[in-house]
Amino acid sequence: MIVGATRPAPLVEFAGVSVVFDGRVRALDDVTLAVGKGEIVGLVGESGSGKSTLCRVLVGLTQPSSGTVKVGDRTVGEQLAQAPLAFRRRIQLLLQDAVASLSPRMTIGRTLEEPIAIHALPRAGARLELDGILKRLGLSNDVLAKFPHQISGGQARRVGLARALVMRPEIIVADEPTAGLDVSVQGELLNLLLDLQRDFGLTYLLVSHNLNVIRRVTERTAVMYLGQIVEDARTNELFATPAHPYSAALLSTNPAVDPKRRVHPIVLQGEIPSAVNPPAGCRFHTRCPVAQPKCTSDPPLLLPLDGGRRVRCHFPFSLAPRRH
Amino acid sequence: MSPNPLVSIRQLKLEALTARGTAHILRGIDLDIGKGRIVGVVGESGSGKSSLAACLLRLLPANVSRLDGEILFDGVDLVALREPAMNAYRGARIAMIFQDPMTALNPLFTVGTHLRDVLRRRHPGMARDEARRRSVAALSSVGFADAPLHVDSYPHQLSGGMRQRVMIAMALLVEPDLLLADEPTTALDATVEAQIVSLLENLRRTFSGSIVFISHHLGLVAQLCDDLCVMYGGTIVESGPVADVLGGPRHPYTRALLACELEDEAGGGRLVSIPGEVPDPVEMRDACVFAPRCPHVREACLAGMPALRDAGPGRRAACVRWEEVEFELSKPSQR
Repeated sequence: MIVGATRPAPLVEFAGVSVVFDGRVRALDDVTLAVGKGEIVGLVGESGSGKSTLCRVLVGLTQPSSGTVKVGDRTVGEQLAQAPLAFRRRIQLLLQDAVASLSPRMTIGRTLEEPIAIHALPRAGARLELDGILKRLGLSNDVLAKFPHQISGGQARRVGLARALVMRPEIIVADEPTAGLDVSVQGELLNLLLDLQRDFGLTYLLVSHNLNVIRRVTERTAVMYLGQIVEDARTNELFATPAHPYSAALLSTNPAVDPKRRVHPIVLQGEIPSAVNPPAGCRFHTRCPVAQPKCTSDPPLLLPLDGGRRVRCHFPFSLAPRRH
Repeated sequence: MSPNPLVSIRQLKLEALTARGTAHILRGIDLDIGKGRIVGVVGESGSGKSSLAACLLRLLPANVSRLDGEILFDGVDLVALREPAMNAYRGARIAMIFQDPMTALNPLFTVGTHLRDVLRRRHPGMARDEARRRSVAALSSVGFADAPLHVDSYPHQLSGGMRQRVMIAMALLVEPDLLLADEPTTALDATVEAQIVSLLENLRRTFSGSIVFISHHLGLVAQLCDDLCVMYGGTIVESGPVADVLGGPRHPYTRALLACELEDEAGGGRLVSIPGEVPDPVEMRDACVFAPRCPHVREACLAGMPALRDAGPGRRAACVRWEEVEFELSKPSQR
């Protein structure tokens, strides 16, 4: 992570992507986001903010209602229509519930061989590669004969990762990769993800509600609220000086162990409004402690600030966390 | 800890029969809960923190094969009580807030019915009007803006945060001497969690009982609690005032757990984890439970399970070597 370095050319590009379910639930609203090759981009926000929908759109499981998503120089839709298997090899999704993402009726060995068969990869080569991956992930061969319920949560995570890596993907979308893992083993998994990025030039989109993980692992972070990206910034800059009031509030709710790092939590009133009937103007104005009259009527755009940061707020930097 | 604790737990052991053999869920717990104190209990999954709460209420699963030791609650040993006598404590002197507010409320009854049931248990024969008046007041006190309206709501009409507020209101109506809160904010979104934490902080001014706050979030415990008790593998490895323990941990496990929090800035360095796995509860141990993963292990650690011993004012640690380890770590050559 070199501060001040220019961003690599985008490998993933969301341009004005919206997803509307049943004609009324705006799960994603005008999302524009670029992820550079080899970058690790974090996605934070509360439930209902659209993080998972964004992941699903990227891997082609959900169709955007409007806007385009490109991976490389072609859209996801085109690639899925023309060469679905090749596209799915490029981009792999790690699901939040690692144990549930493995079939309970298949041994781990069969689960890992299934994608090799589906994608008709050269058997011998793929098997050899799989052996290498298993070793790399610290999974011993006796795990192959077991069923998902016989392995630990941490092992299930690594099996899911192995299943993704055997496809030699360019991009990994990881939805809460450390959810359900004990804090004593989450570091090990994250180190592994970082090693793989370095060795294979992998690109990550990483969803997490663990702000410490986001701060340590990602280079950029996009903050989402009610289907919109409200801020997109270098992770260290976001944590040091959040520009959007929602970012400031969200980051302040992560109580630190170290008294020197503690800030006064900014306690927001109320809860996230419904995506069926989002507030007019700025979607955050109903809970924003520094909202002004303009915010209730004019929806702010996601506009660039200095230093490659983008923020969707009429009055950026107007809410700052207070230190103890 | 405090000279005159509300609860004194001594050598509490809990075992259960499983398909793989006898599970040692609690391996001899010693803990004092001071009057009016908030005691944070932290530990990873399987460390026994929820089981400890279950023992205090004596609400244990059917496969429990052994419950031994003492839980002196205001001088009465809860372990030895017969069932009807124990029942008089539940929902009266001891109340509990559960982790998942979605399943803790009965979907068939209104919020008002939940609150009234709790009140009538505590004050048998309370008039309907009085119960309703106090229910509405309780909802207001936990932050319901439209309490008279919401008292007639059903649980499905409320969000997760509001349901957890109802749970807290129910617990407070009991006016318990001891409130058990098992991960009360884990199921909530971050900004809603902040609301509930701030509510709990404000309640400190009006609630005079003791609170056992179970959590896996060290930062939250640091913010909210007075005392801290760190559990590992069915044992307490360290206890003491929260700022002292987190500011200068004595037990190698506490130190390792703090390092795993990833609070420091990205420096390109490796992320910390504790090698190895949490102990298997089925395994019988006659040594320090943390020894297989401890970077400071010596032969002395394998000779019997270390007892909690003094580790500073109001502090105790279950490590035979904590002084030596502290000295070793203080030497510059070590790092």
